[in-house]
Amino acid sequence: MNNIVHYALTYVRKYDTGMPLRFVAVPFPFTGQPKEVDVGYVTGKDMLTDQPMMHAVVDALTKPLTPEEKITGAPAEESVEPRLLPPDTEDNLRALFDERGWADYNWINLPTEKKVMAMLRGTSHKPDEVIKTINITGGARPLTVEKVAISAVMAGASPEHFPVILALATQAPFGNSTSSMANMVVINGPIAKKLKFNSGTNAMGPYNRSNAVVGRAFTILSKTAGDLRNGINAWESLGSNFQYNNILYAENEDALPEGWNPLHVQMGYKPSDSVVTVGTGWTSISSVGGSQELYPVHHLMRDYMSALTASGSSATIVMDPTVAGLLQTAHGFKTKEQLSEWFSQNAQKTAGNYWGNGVIQSVVVPLALQGLEPYASWRKLPNDAMIKPFTNPRAIHIVVTGGKIQTTWFVTDFGMRRGVKIDDWA
Amino acid sequence: MNRRKMLALLGISPALVTGTPALGKPAARPPAGDSYEGSEERITVMNPAIANKLAPRVALAPRLKDLNNKLIYMINLSWEGPDAANYFYGAMTDWLHQHYTGVRTVVKVTAEGMFGTDPSVLKAIREDHADAVVVGVAG
Repeated sequence: MNNIVHYALTYVRKYDTGMPLRFVAVPFPFTGQPKEVDVGYVTGKDMLTDQPMMHAVVDALTKPLTPEEKITGAPAEESVEPRLLPPDTEDNLRALFDERGWADYNWINLPTEKKVMAMLRGTSHKPDEVIKTINITGGARPLTVEKVAISAVMAGASPEHFPVILALATQAPFGNSTSSMANMVVINGPIAKKLKFNSGTNAMGPYNRSNAVVGRAFTILSKTAGDLRNGINAWESLGSNFQYNNILYAENEDALPEGWNPLHVQMGYKPSDSVVTVGTGWTSISSVGGSQELYPVHHLMRDYMSALTASGSSATIVMDPTVAGLLQTAHGFKTKEQLSEWFSQNAQKTAGNYWGNGVIQSVVVPLALQGLEPYASWRKLPNDAMIKPFTNPRAIHIVVTGGKIQTTWFVTDFGMRRGVKIDDWA
Repeated sequence: MNRRKMLALLGISPALVTGTPALGKPAARPPAGDSYEGSEERITVMNPAIANKLAPRVALAPRLKDLNNKLIYMINLSWEGPDAANYFYGAMTDWLHQHYTGVRTVVKVTAEGMFGTDPSVLKAIREDHADAVVVGVAG
């Protein structure tokens, strides 16, 4: 059974719980079905044993333990990954990297020791320093500086990119879910110019080496350090093309309107700090064509925001400098914070739209059931009642990038984490 | 019509159709490791993978002889919302009552959804001396 139940029975058991839990399985999808369908599963069959469901449940609760189920303590076996792979031809090694799912199936630089050592000269940190232990989906894998250097080489990065990639590694692995989760990486500070990250025309497109290789390095190290493998422990139903590069771009700090601070300064860093910020989300809506006086740009953004889940009140609006300029001069938003506050006060959706989302159901309903406001009150509203779901303006981020060619922007549901100082990884 | 004029009307540059000898050449080889693609030379590269630490094994709790007169907790993790699991657990409860004497069931929705362990639920399980626990439903 090559599905998520198999994942629970194998990967999770081996690396996370250590318990051979007894499972029964119903057909998917389970939620969003009429009540009679879910009730019918109880009188149906267990997909794992093919026996009647309740017989399988009773067996799980009453059948004596097997010797395997009585084992306790340290596992007898051990997972081993040698530092160097056995010598082989380049073709065979490339096939091995593909087979193990270590890259993105595009052309990689094979990480010879010589190239990895050269990459390591891009930082003062020791190769065996553990950046973090990654236990997402289990496994407790220690991510060292050397392992990050291997991924950086594979992605085609240069040693001068390495401090940025190490800062990114503190945020690895990238977000992944069963829906199409994606990630956004924003570069701020002097490093953007020093390494020529693109914050101008085509900032978010495939037109710049630093944007390309650093974004790709985050993918590769997320896959290797996260041990993310399709159908093993990576379970996005549709996946996301954004995961190839993680929407990496630099903020166009030179083009910010007066009074609008760069993202990292909003987070409390100095303008002279170089910072990388990672966001995670699912939804991105692009504007088309130029802004119109008939329908002010922030009104259109607000209306697009009604399509977002508003989970955690998160939104990130990425806009061209011309849009930021319009918002400041024509509409009076003197700071990014004023604009975020306006979105928080004005973006609305119906209660039905809000609650009719699986993430909100999974994350917010438990809060509502505890009586936490405003969720408890919102849950009592009729479906057509309007609510303002972006309750926290500080979770609505504004980033300015682009080449002043068109008054375009993206509205996204990406939630930005606190940025990481790149200078600490030089 | 003159071929050049016809292509111009179609918006195609004659130069693009004509092409250049360079287009017929193989593309430059991308940067490689320390050997060449197709080469039989064997090279050594570093391993990007990190060994997974195996979780310490934990034995399952002893099973019950039967479910008569037992207290069974059903924990609703609210995967994609609590409704579906509540329907499922409701039907399970009905079935258990029809087939076992004195069986009791308690359905609890966890306060932390599927992402955490709700201490109040664990406390209730302990204080009620529950005989068995069913956890779900995940999807």
